[in-house]
Amino acid sequence: MTPSRKWGGFSPALLAKQVLLVAGILAAWEWGVRSGVMAAYIYGQPSGIYAKARGLIASGELLTHTWVTAQEAVAGFLIGSTLGSLCGLLLWLSPGFAAVVRPVMIAINGVPKIALAPLIIVWFGIGMEAKIAIAAILTFIVSLIATFAGTREVDQDLIRLMRSLGASRFQTWRKVVAPATLPWIVSALRLNVGFALIGAVVGEYISAKEGLGYLVYFSGTLYDLNAVWTGIFALMALALVLDRCVTFIEQKARWA
Amino acid sequence: MKDVVLRAEGLSLSFPGVLAFRAISFALHRREVLAIVGPSGCGKSSLFNVIAGLQAPSEGRVEVLGQPVAGATGHVGYMLQKDLLLPWRSVLDNVLLGLEIRGVKRAEAEARARALIEAYGLKGFEAAKPGTLSGGMRQRVAFMRTLAPDPEVVLLDEPFSALDFQTKLLLQREVQSIIRERAKSAILVTHDIGEAIVMADRVLVLSRRPGTIKSTHVIALPDAVRDPVEARRTPEFQAHFDAIWSDLDQPVEAAPR
Ligand SMILES: Nc1ncnc2c1ncn2[C@@H]1O[C@H](COP(=O)(O)OP(=O)(O)OP(=O)(O)O)[C@@H](O)[C@H]1O
Ligand SMILES: [Mg+2]
Repeated sequence: MTPSRKWGGFSPALLAKQVLLVAGILAAWEWGVRSGVMAAYIYGQPSGIYAKARGLIASGELLTHTWVTAQEAVAGFLIGSTLGSLCGLLLWLSPGFAAVVRPVMIAINGVPKIALAPLIIVWFGIGMEAKIAIAAILTFIVSLIATFAGTREVDQDLIRLMRSLGASRFQTWRKVVAPATLPWIVSALRLNVGFALIGAVVGEYISAKEGLGYLVYFSGTLYDLNAVWTGIFALMALALVLDRCVTFIEQKARWA
Repeated sequence: MKDVVLRAEGLSLSFPGVLAFRAISFALHRREVLAIVGPSGCGKSSLFNVIAGLQAPSEGRVEVLGQPVAGATGHVGYMLQKDLLLPWRSVLDNVLLGLEIRGVKRAEAEARARALIEAYGLKGFEAAKPGTLSGGMRQRVAFMRTLAPDPEVVLLDEPFSALDFQTKLLLQREVQSIIRERAKSAILVTHDIGEAIVMADRVLVLSRRPGTIKSTHVIALPDAVRDPVEARRTPEFQAHFDAIWSDLDQPVEAAPR
């Protein structure tokens, strides 16, 4: 019932297979382009991507873009996840208020949140704040909904037990509901790594002067597919690093 | 006579469209263990909710030490079939839960909890997490948690029904002797007639829903027999068993309409 960590542990044999798989795909791709089956200007080319990436790294551009996107995503992640989890937990304290906002939550959850991005650009301008805001809103909603759902999964008998011991609603919340919901909060964090990056990148697509989203989008308009791929791979690397951080938090937050 | 610790007077409870139980009156005396048996769905757990103040009765009242019960104030200890231990807390911290809620100072609370843990065979497990304990030990911790705030009355709702037979017998004896030792009283809901007879001084048989007291059996086993297994071998046990069994209705589900 409790969501759990999917990946874990380190195994050299597994790593070898993973490297082999990626190398195989890259080799097939390179061969496809060289033999003329695939057009380089549509698909890019691994050797070209490598050259491009080296250039972008050497000039420091890739690092700058990555750093910008990382800051936006992490700031949005922290703000959104913290506030979302907190609000989801607090909703339990007032079932009346929760009942009132439930339809709103369901409606907002149904809207592709990306549709809100233009509004946010209008409100927050085209600086980093806007990207942070988009990432924060996406992650806020995911955390809010997951956490609120988690509080409703808490064993009702536990709550009866607390009441029979004479606990106030707040005591029950603090001593039982909040800790019991922790696994749900943490599993929302994992999802939020992805959502925070989506938020930051989409914000950069819409308007930006730097960031990996900007790199990908701008290179795309120039048909510089190798640069697009470089940006995508950098995003993947960033996602992996952030995922590792969440795994670390997850291990710290384990209660059983 | 013996002092009355808890009194139920004319208790009825109806949910929308369902009368759970009606006209239930009894008195519970100090050091007494009162067992309640009755077919599934006859309102035993609902009766406990009313006694614990978790649910207001539709009619009647409950008094503990002469004071009417108004809401859940921790005036009784409540123990269920599920141990309901908090998995993120150690054994000690689980036992402390009720005292924390009362606002008892940490040092004093901890001393009380440790004394209980030591007295009843869980020494050395204070820091263990419940997940590492056996079912019997977990239920024992749950009982310590129930006792820690020192309630006059303990409500036991099928507390042993999830345990294996040997552990069950062990805990039956333990719980019974702890209640007597500490001059407390208990109400035990069970589906196990044998358990009711070996643990209780009196057994109330409830009718099928809406549950009402159908008969009261005062248990008289030979004084020397303290052991639940030994007790089962006596002719008195068999006589009580037959009498209670013949009073028990079919469960609600099987009842003709
Ligand atoms: N909150 C509720 N709302 C409506 N009906 C309820 C509620 N709680 C219990 N009931 C009904 O009241 C009746 C008594 O339930 P209760 O759980 O007290 O029975 P019980 O004697 O404890 O049964 P069992 O032996 O199976 O534990 C049942 O028919 C149940 O469906
Ligand atoms: Mg029941």
